[in-house]
Formats: sequence, C-alpha cells, structure tokens
Amino acid sequence: MIVERDVVVVGGGPAGLTAAARLAAAGLTVTILDEQPELGGQYYRRPAPEVARRWGDHRREGGELIAGVRAAGVECRTGHLVWGLADDDRTLLAEDEAGRPVRLRGRHLVLATGAYERSFPFPGWQLPGVTTPGFAQHLAAGDHTPIGERVVLAGSGPFLLPVACSLLALGVKVAGIAEAGTPYRPGRRALGTLRHPARLRELAGYAARLARARVPVWQGAVVLRADGHDRVSSVTLAAAGRPGQAIRTVEADALCVGYGFRPQTDLARLLGCEVTADPGTGDAIPVTDPAGRSSRPDVYVIGEAAGIGGAPTARARGLAAAHDILARETGHPVPPAEARRVATAARRLGHFTALTDALYPSPAQLLDALVPALADSTMACRCESVTAGELRADAAGDVNAAKARTRAGMGPCQGRVCGFAVAGLVRGGAVFPSRVPIRPVRMTTLLELAAEDGPA
Amino acid sequence: MRAADVVIVGAGVLGAAAAWQLSRAGHRVVIFDRGAPGREGSGTTAGNLHVQAVHTRRPGQEVPIDSARFLPLQRAASDRWESVEDDLGASVELRRSGGFTIAETPDQCQELKEKHTWEAAAGIPTEVLDGDAAREALPLLGPTVTAATWCASDGYANPLKVTPAYLAAAAGHGAELVPYAPVREIARRGGTWRVTAGTHTVAAPVVIDVAGPWLGEIAALAGIRLRMTPVAIQMHATVRAPVTMSHLVQHIGEGLSVKQVTAGNLLIGGGWPARALNLAGRSVTSVDSLLGNVALAVRVLPFIRDLRLLRAWAGPLAATPDEMPLIGEVPGEPGFLVAGGTYAFTFAPLWGETLRGLAEGAPPPVEIADLGPDRLMTQTKTHEGRQR
Amino acid sequence: MTAPRSATIIVDGRPVTAVAGVSLTAALVGDHRWALRRNPVDGGPRGPFCGMGVCFECEVTVDGVPSVRACLTRIRPGMRVDTTGAPNDR
Repeated sequence: MIVERDVVVVGGGPAGLTAAARLAAAGLTVTILDEQPELGGQYYRRPAPEVARRWGDHRREGGELIAGVRAAGVECRTGHLVWGLADDDRTLLAEDEAGRPVRLRGRHLVLATGAYERSFPFPGWQLPGVTTPGFAQHLAAGDHTPIGERVVLAGSGPFLLPVACSLLALGVKVAGIAEAGTPYRPGRRALGTLRHPARLRELAGYAARLARARVPVWQGAVVLRADGHDRVSSVTLAAAGRPGQAIRTVEADALCVGYGFRPQTDLARLLGCEVTADPGTGDAIPVTDPAGRSSRPDVYVIGEAAGIGGAPTARARGLAAAHDILARETGHPVPPAEARRVATAARRLGHFTALTDALYPSPAQLLDALVPALADSTMACRCESVTAGELRADAAGDVNAAKARTRAGMGPCQGRVCGFAVAGLVRGGAVFPSRVPIRPVRMTTLLELAAEDGPA
Repeated sequence: MRAADVVIVGAGVLGAAAAWQLSRAGHRVVIFDRGAPGREGSGTTAGNLHVQAVHTRRPGQEVPIDSARFLPLQRAASDRWESVEDDLGASVELRRSGGFTIAETPDQCQELKEKHTWEAAAGIPTEVLDGDAAREALPLLGPTVTAATWCASDGYANPLKVTPAYLAAAAGHGAELVPYAPVREIARRGGTWRVTAGTHTVAAPVVIDVAGPWLGEIAALAGIRLRMTPVAIQMHATVRAPVTMSHLVQHIGEGLSVKQVTAGNLLIGGGWPARALNLAGRSVTSVDSLLGNVALAVRVLPFIRDLRLLRAWAGPLAATPDEMPLIGEVPGEPGFLVAGGTYAFTFAPLWGETLRGLAEGAPPPVEIADLGPDRLMTQTKTHEGRQR
Repeated sequence: MTAPRSATIIVDGRPVTAVAGVSLTAALVGDHRWALRRNPVDGGPRGPFCGMGVCFECEVTVDGVPSVRACLTRIRPGMRVDTTGAPNDR
C-alpha cells in the first residue's frame, strides 16, 4: 500500500501532534504514524480507558490535543513501525500492527521521533526489576500499576522527581532518590529558573510532595551495584566523587535508573539530514533552523529528536514547523503576531532548559565520573552480553570498531541502550550509524513488500 | 624518515596476511591504513570460504568469472585455511562444515554437473545430489531445489576476527601498524620506495598495494594506472536463531549465500549491489537489493521466513573488470606489488604467502602469471609523479 | 465511582487478571512476573527495562506470534502469552 500525503509526520508525541493538527486544520492532507498502540508519545502517553475512567487522566491536555488532531482530519496510524527508506530516498517504509508493509510519501516529512532514556551500566543492571524511570512512570500513570513495593530511583535530572511523585500517588514506598549531581541547593543558577514561574512551580511542587512524604534525596550519589537472584532485592550506592566505594545499601524490589534523555535521530540520519554534536550533551542532533527545517529541504526534525527540551518546547517546535510548511505551501507567511508569539515562547523555553540543564551534571561529566569506576566484569551491552572489560581492551578507535570487535550493539536494540556507555568506554565518541532496518523487521513483512508492485 | 623492508598499504585481510607472512620471516614491516584496520571490504564481507567452484554472478555483474581457472587457487587456499588458527594462535571461528551449491532450473542442474567435472579434475571432491537427496542431507532446503553439489571443505571464518588475528600475530613478530594514516605520497628513487602517510615517511625496497577499493588510487600515487572497477555490495543479518544450519548454502544461478554464524544469526548475501559505492564514507544499502536477496533466501531456505531482519550493511568489493583476482608485481616498477580482486577473503592465506614469495624473489606457490597487473594497465608509467 | 473492568489473559497456561486494556507489561508486573525471557548469550533472566519499545527485553510470544514487545501491546481478554520460549531472539 502506498500512502501519498502533503505531509507525513513520524511520531505522535507533543511535537508531532501539534504540527499535524495545525497543518490539517489549514487543509493539508496529513498522516501521523507512531509505533505505540496509541497516540501521545511518551509524555502524553494515554492511560488505558479503564484507568482513566476510574482514576482520571494525569495529562488531560494530551487527550485534548489528540482529539484535536482527529477532529482536524489527520489520518492516524498507530502501531506503525517505520523501519526504512526506499531507494528513491523519500518513500518511508513501515510495517503496520498486523505486520503488513506500508509505504508513505509526503511532500514534506516531519520527524518527531522523540527521545529515549540515557542509561549507564552498573553490576546487576540486567536483573529483572531494574528499569528506566520512564517505565515506572508509564506503569504508574498509564496503567495504574506500581512497579514495586519499595523503589529506589537513581540517575540524574529533573525527571526523577515526577516519577517519584507518581509512585507516591500509588502508595508505593519510595526508599530514596539518588541524584548524581547536587542540583537541589540554593544558588545563582537555580535562581535563574525563577524567571519561568510556571515551570519552576512544577518542579517546586514535586519537591514539596517528596518532602511531605519524607523521601530522602541523596545528592551526589550513584548506583554502585544492584543485587538479587531472579529480581533485584537491594541497591548499593556510592558517592559520585568516589564511585567505587559503597556508602549505603538499600532494600528495594525495583530500581529505576536514568540519566535524562537522548534524541532519537535514526530516521533523520537515514534520510541524510546533517547532524552535529549538541553543545550541551554531546549527542548527535540534526542541524535545524528555528522552524525545524533540516539540511534536507523536505525534512523537518522537531521535538526531542531535534535536541532535548521538554514537552512545551516540543509543542512550540511543532507549531513553528507547521507555520513554515504552510508558508511554503500557500506563499503567504503566517500572520507575524502568531509567528512572533511562537518564536518568543520557544526562546523562553530554550532559556529555561539551558538553566535547568546547568543544575545537573552534563553527560560528559557523567562519563568522566562513571566510566573509570565501572568494573571490567560489568555487562555493558545487555543484548550481546558484552562486558566493560571487553570494550576497554584495545579501546583505541570508535564505537564502530568496538562493535566489530566485541559485538556490542549488534543485538536487537541495535546499540540504543548501551550506546552512551560504549562511546564512553572506547573514548571514541560518535554514535552507531543509522542503518536499514531501523528496528528489526519481520521477514514476512519484507516478503509482502517484495511482492508488491513499484519501487520499494 | 625510517627504513623498512616492506611497506604495506591497506590493513585489510590481504595486508594483514601478508604482514604476518613477512614479519614471521624476519622482514621489517610497516602497515598503513587510511582508517581503522579491517573495516572496509574485509570487515563487511560474508566470510565464506569458497572451495567448490564459485559460479554465481552478482546481480548486475557483467562478466562471469572463469570458474575453472579459480579451482586450483581455491584448492590451494583451502589447504592453507586448515592451519590458520594454529598459525595465529587465535580462534577465528573457522568452521569447515561443508556447503551446498543448489540449482532450481534444468539449466542450472546442467551447470552443476559441468562444475562437478571441473572440480574432480582439480582434485576438489564434490558430490552431485538430486533435489530429494539434497533435502535429505539438509532438510531446511525448500521444495524448489532440484539439485545440489555438496563440498565438505566449504566453510566460514569470522571476518571480524581474521584480520585482527593476523595483525596481532604480525605485531608479535614486530610488524608496525599505523591506522588512520592515509598514504599521500609514493615515490621511487632507484631501488627504494618512499611512502608518506600522515607524518610518517618510510623507505623500503618493496611496497605492497592491498588497498581494496582504493588499490587503483594508491597505485596512481606511484604513477601507475590500473583499471579497477570497485563496487559496493551488501549483506543482511537476521536476529539470533537456534543453531540449526551448520552448512554454507549458495545458489549456482542467482546471487545467494546463506549461513548461520556461531552466534546464531543467519547471514544472507550473494553480492547484491548497494545503492552506490561511497569511498568517502559508508555505502548506503539498497532496499530493492535487500528485498530481492531475502526473498531468494526464503525461497531456498523457507525457515528464514519466521525470523526478523536485524541489520543490513554495505561494503566495497575491489573488483577487476574481468572479475579475476589481481596479484603480482607491476611491470617496470620493481618492488611494487599489488593484490586484490574478488574472493580475496577466501584467498587471503594463499595471497599472503604469495606476496611474501614475490617480495623475497621466490617462486609463488601457485601459478599466477595470468593474474598480474599488466592486463589492467591502461598506460605505462608516465613519470608524471604523484597524482595529487 | 465504580470498580474498573478487568480482563483475564492466560500466561504460561495460568490465568492472570488485570485492569482491562492496560499494557501487557503492566499485567505481568502486576502479577509479579518479571522474568519474561532469557538472554540468548548468557541465559540469564531478563525483564522489561525501557517500557517504550527500545530495549527489546520484554519480548514474549502472544497468541503464537513470537517476539512481541509486551510494552507495546495492550491486553485483550483471553490473550495467550508465553514467556518460556527458547532463548533466542527470533
């Protein structure tokens, strides 16, 4: 099947939804695709209808945005995995929920492929019960299911706070939050965020809730190891400055560790969009103009995929891209007042993100602290069971050389989970290249596509 | 400037094998590579050890190889692979578990029989099976297979281990590897070649150009024009599956080779072309080739239908216009040796030994007179010097 | 406010009941089933990790279809889930 639209939007989170709604409202034909069974992305992930009916919708505005997208006439294709790019360099190749091939062409492509969590290994991180904070959040907010009875959160970044609050709301005992940095101290940098009262109130609200529940926040602490038999049963922490030495062991049946987010740029890179290193994080991000236009004139990259900025920024970027496309389509720029509002909002939000980021250790600082302390016997690549020691041995080179030598990154996750650590361990930087298929794809889908007419 | 006995340009499998042979024999060897060792054709190849006649044409390949001419070379290479792991003191996942070349049409069956007679003449034992006998031997084969030849010596080695193992063994004998050092100048003064790469300049009586797809460019630095026709081909890997297939399966009439590697992934190749050869970066895979290759694989080995495709990648192939191997000394350029061409992975142990012989002025272990660079030289050296 | 509707699925031959329409990972974790597969290299038990389709650690067999990511799947009444599959990725 070939879908031809004015605009194809990949990713149904805040950025993609905002862009799709605005474009369809202006009369363009728009298809939005997402791998998840429902629109919303990670931030606006929809609760199961029964959960929403009984316990409410934690992010009602997400539901409203999705309703607006549907009302505007956007064709919504959930359960669609975009796995490749045809040889014409513009037709996206997807597989639908039933495993059937779908080809999509848009005169404009809007990539809103979001982000995934930044992980870093420690001994025992492969134990069942060790997860990302995002998984705990989805279980709590979307499925009203506690990830455990006694939970430790660890890693770094503001995201740990709302996750802890979601767990508290379910009656879970949050044994503590280990934050690698020391952000929660009054200082000039923290005061800068005061200029953004709404966002600051959000963070302050989380902090107050945690204080009321007497959840300890151990600043400057990292996970030394997790122990357990078939599931995690205890967590041992170390001081971030001396990450080899245990300072505390905490019993827990779930441990959620994450160090913020990494942009998901595979599709942009596959499309040949130029990328650069994000000055703040070092991650590869597509080069975009303020409207999200990439080095390819027909491809926009917006939302977290264009650099981590949070949901409000993602929505602003979605709107800016929609305006740019509409201006190109109609020959009339969007009314200056509306465009100016969007630009101002995006600038303010960007400033807030920069201030917040400055409170927490940068990914480069995290690697400096965590890599030297990582024991050689620690599993670094979970899929292929490759240890840190194997990666370190003869580490000169880059992630691709390390992959060839050790198989790290060759498993089903294709290096997304281990990529940050592998780059740190081989001291080579760079990211695993983006290749077809972007995710493992069923042979039956490929066979069906091969049997269809026309160019793949 | 330093002195060495041999400068090798290209740390792929041929350069590595030559480096090991030469350093082991006491020669001072320096190896330059423009990037990471073993990263291009030698790191992207399927890793097949072809002992029975290769008869397949890559999709898009215009000239067929002279299969019969290949056979004595394959036999000699096969003998040498036998000792590679012992020689290098390392596992390269060498597996000699045999292979089938299958046919699906009457014409292909006829070609199989013809091929079998050449193999018998070359002393390579193979056996012709009809479709049912082939399926009895390998029940994974599908119903369209009407005949197959079986060769017990066909096999596989992990290309990601072979080149590093040769390089490590060579280093143990004092060979010096300089990666990320593109060669920029090659000049001859009397009997001495001066090779400059990055900040290094090395003088040696022998230069070995085993630069794969860059073989022609490197030769051009020395003012030697060689007509090479490098292409990019692609490979495909499934997710890990339970290990059920220990044999190599090839097709006599279409581009297909399939095997299951030690880790359990099925590797599907057959020389299908990538979108374009990109020597500045990684060549991009073609989805049309991907679909064609996996559809063929599933037709011949239907169990693959239940798997998922995990990865596809492209790599260069240092092909020659006549599809025959290239090895020998450049006429009129004493000490300038070249080696390349298709099936270099299978031939690596043989060409390593042959290059040592050429460097030492000893007779080669196999007849190579017709495989030399003279046939690819478009003009004699003009002494115009360096090309860039 | 009424109690939420529930749905029963069959996991490794045994019934598991959860709130209707939640993710399969939620139904499994809610039933204290964390080890969903074994790593094909080291044979160790693995459970859901990222919850968003990236890590492939929560793959199970659903209604006979192997390698289904539980985190991207919502439960349906009567769904048959197998977590005892061979230690491979398929």
